[in-house]
Amino acid sequence: MKLLEHEGKALFTKHGIPTPAGVLRTSENSGLPDAKSFVVKAQVHMGNRKKAGGILFAKNAAGAEGALKKLLGKEILNEPVKEVLVEEELKGVEEYYAAFTYDTETRGPVLLLNKDGGTGIEKAKVFPINVMEGLPGFKIREHLVATKFPSSDILPVAGIIAKLWKLFTEEQTILAEINPLIKTKDGKFVAADSKIDLGKRRLVEAMGGDIAILASGGGASLLNIDALLAAGGKPANYTEYSGNPPAHVVTNLTKQVLSQEGLKGCWVVGGTANFTDIFETIRGFVEGLREVKPKPTYPIVIRRDGPRQKEAFEFLRNVGAEEGYDFHLFGSETPMVGTAAIMVELAYKHGNSR
Amino acid sequence: MAILVDTKTRVLIQGITGAEGSRACREMLGYGTKVVAGVTPGKGGQKVEGVPVYNTVAEALAKHKEINTSLIVTPAGAVKDAALEAMAHGIPLINILAEHDSPLDTSMIVAMAKKHETRVVGPSSVGIMSPTIGKLGSIGSGETKNIFTKGHIGVVSKSGGLTGEIAVILSRAGIGQSTAVGIGGDTIEGSDFVDILELFEKDKETWATVLFGEVGGTSEERVAEYVAAKKIKKPIVAVIGGEFTTHLPQGVVLGHAGAIVSHGKGGYASKIRTMKKAGIIIAKTLEEVPDILRKIVTKKL
Repeated sequence: MKLLEHEGKALFTKHGIPTPAGVLRTSENSGLPDAKSFVVKAQVHMGNRKKAGGILFAKNAAGAEGALKKLLGKEILNEPVKEVLVEEELKGVEEYYAAFTYDTETRGPVLLLNKDGGTGIEKAKVFPINVMEGLPGFKIREHLVATKFPSSDILPVAGIIAKLWKLFTEEQTILAEINPLIKTKDGKFVAADSKIDLGKRRLVEAMGGDIAILASGGGASLLNIDALLAAGGKPANYTEYSGNPPAHVVTNLTKQVLSQEGLKGCWVVGGTANFTDIFETIRGFVEGLREVKPKPTYPIVIRRDGPRQKEAFEFLRNVGAEEGYDFHLFGSETPMVGTAAIMVELAYKHGNSR
Repeated sequence: MAILVDTKTRVLIQGITGAEGSRACREMLGYGTKVVAGVTPGKGGQKVEGVPVYNTVAEALAKHKEINTSLIVTPAGAVKDAALEAMAHGIPLINILAEHDSPLDTSMIVAMAKKHETRVVGPSSVGIMSPTIGKLGSIGSGETKNIFTKGHIGVVSKSGGLTGEIAVILSRAGIGQSTAVGIGGDTIEGSDFVDILELFEKDKETWATVLFGEVGGTSEERVAEYVAAKKIKKPIVAVIGGEFTTHLPQGVVLGHAGAIVSHGKGGYASKIRTMKKAGIIIAKTLEEVPDILRKIVTKKL
C-alpha cells in the first residue's frame, strides 16, 4: 500500500528528515504556509500526477488559493482529490535521488542513488546492502562517492540517508524514496517529495464494475479476475482473504464488498483449499449477506472446495431455500475460472430480465 | 525419487504446540511423514500427537540425531530466530510455513542460509508434497489422497491454493506428480522458481514442470534466463496470474506481497514476453495444462 505524499512526509518528520513548510488543506480547513511562492499538490496515489495536472505552482497567496480550487474535490487520473498539500516552493541548487527498496534478484535490501534528482527509480545506481553488516556510515559515503556526489554534500546527504534507512527498516516499508532531495541556496537539504510503500494490501480495492468478488488465495484471486474480465464481466472490487480467516473477518469483508450500489452479481471463488475451513468462511459470508440492505436478489455464484466443503454447501442450500437467496454452488469438479463465464451469464441475463 | 521430501526425511517442527503447528503435525503423521520432535521454548517435556517437545533445537538434536528437516510454524516475530537456530545446528532443509515475516528478517534468513549452505523454502510456503512418500506443512490438508497422486510432473507455485488446484487438475487427468512445492509469494523468498527447477532438473523421476507465477518480482524472468541459457532443459508449462493489473494504478498491491516491479521487469507483459521467448509454454488456464503436458512429454505420463 502506497502512502500519500503527506503521510510519507509525516514519517520523514518522525525520523528527522527535513521537509518543506506546508499546510494540508481539505474542504474543511484554511491557511497557507509562511512563504513567498507556493507549490500546490493533489494528494493522490498515482505516480504521474505532475503530468496529469496534479501539481500547480503559485507566485502568491491568491494564486495558491486559486490552485487549491482547481484541485480540491476534482479527480486526477480517476482518483478523487480529497486533500491538497500546499508547501513553500523551494528553488534548489541541486536535486538528488535517494531510495531504499528490496531487490528480488539479490534477495535483500538495496540503496538507490542518483545525483540527478527527478529521474526516478529506473535510472538510479543500485547498491545491495549486506543485512548482516547493516548500513554503517562509511558504506553510505562510499556509495555517494561512487555515484559522484560532490565532496561538500557527502556528509549531510549521508546523514539523511542514514535516517531514511532507519525509517525503511523500522517502519517495515518495501519502498522509501526521497525524490527529489533538494539542496537549497543556503545549503540546507530538504525532502521535497515522498514515496513510501508499506507493501501491505488494502483490504478492498474498488474496480468500478458491477460484479462483487470475494476471492480466496493470493494467486487464485489474480487468475479469477483475469478470467472474469476475459468472460466479459466487470469486477466491482478486488479483495482477497488468505490462510484460515475466522468467520467474522469474512462477515466484515462481505458487508463492505456488497455495500456498493448497482451490483448485478456476487462471486465467491477460490481454488481447492489446503487448510482453509470452508464451513467457517461460508458461515461468515452468510452472516455478512444477511446484514446487507436491501437484501441481495442478484445471483450469487460460489465455487469453493477443501476442508468441510460438504457441510458448507449443505448449510448454503438450506439458507438459500429458507431465506430466498439465488445461490449457485460449485465444487472442484467445475473449473475455478469456468465459473467466471457462469457468473457473467447469470449476472447480465438477470439484470436484463428486470 | 522426488525432491526435498523423500523416504529419508526426518522432521522437527519449530512451533509445534501452536494451533497451526499441531495441525501440521497431525496431518503430516497422518500422511506417514516421520515427525520425530518438536520445539517450543518453555514447553519442553510436553507431547503433541505423541511427538516429544523440547525447549531448544540443540536438545531435540541431542535426542534425535536423525533430524534433517525443520518446519517453522512459529508466530511471525519469532521466525528469524527459529530459522537461525535451525541453521546454527546444521539442519540442511528449512521449510517456513509461517506468514507475515518482514522482508528485512527474510533477507537476513536468506543471507545466513547462504553462509550455512542451508536450503530454505518459504516464508508463507504452504508446504512440500512428494505424493505417497511424505509431506511438509499444510499442503493438501487432510484430504491429500484426493488431490495428489504419484507421478512424473513437478509442480512449483507462489500460491499455496493453486499448488493444490494444479495437483487436482493433473490427478483427475490421470497425471501424477513427483513433488509439489509451494515457494510462497512474499517479496523475498528463501527459494525462488529457479532454485526449485534446478532440483527438478536433476531428479530422474521428474519429466516436466508446471509453474504458477504472478505479477511482481523478477523470479519468472529469471526462469526465462535459465531456460534460454539451457541451464534448465526439462519442459515447463507456466500459468501467470494478474494480467488485469496492467490496467490498474501503480502502487496497488494485489495477490501476494511480492509485487515490486523493478528494473522494468515484473509486470505481466514482461513475464509473458521473456518466458515465451525462452521457449516456456504459457497456458491461459489451469485446465488446459494436462493436454499441453501430454503433447510436450514424449514418455507416457
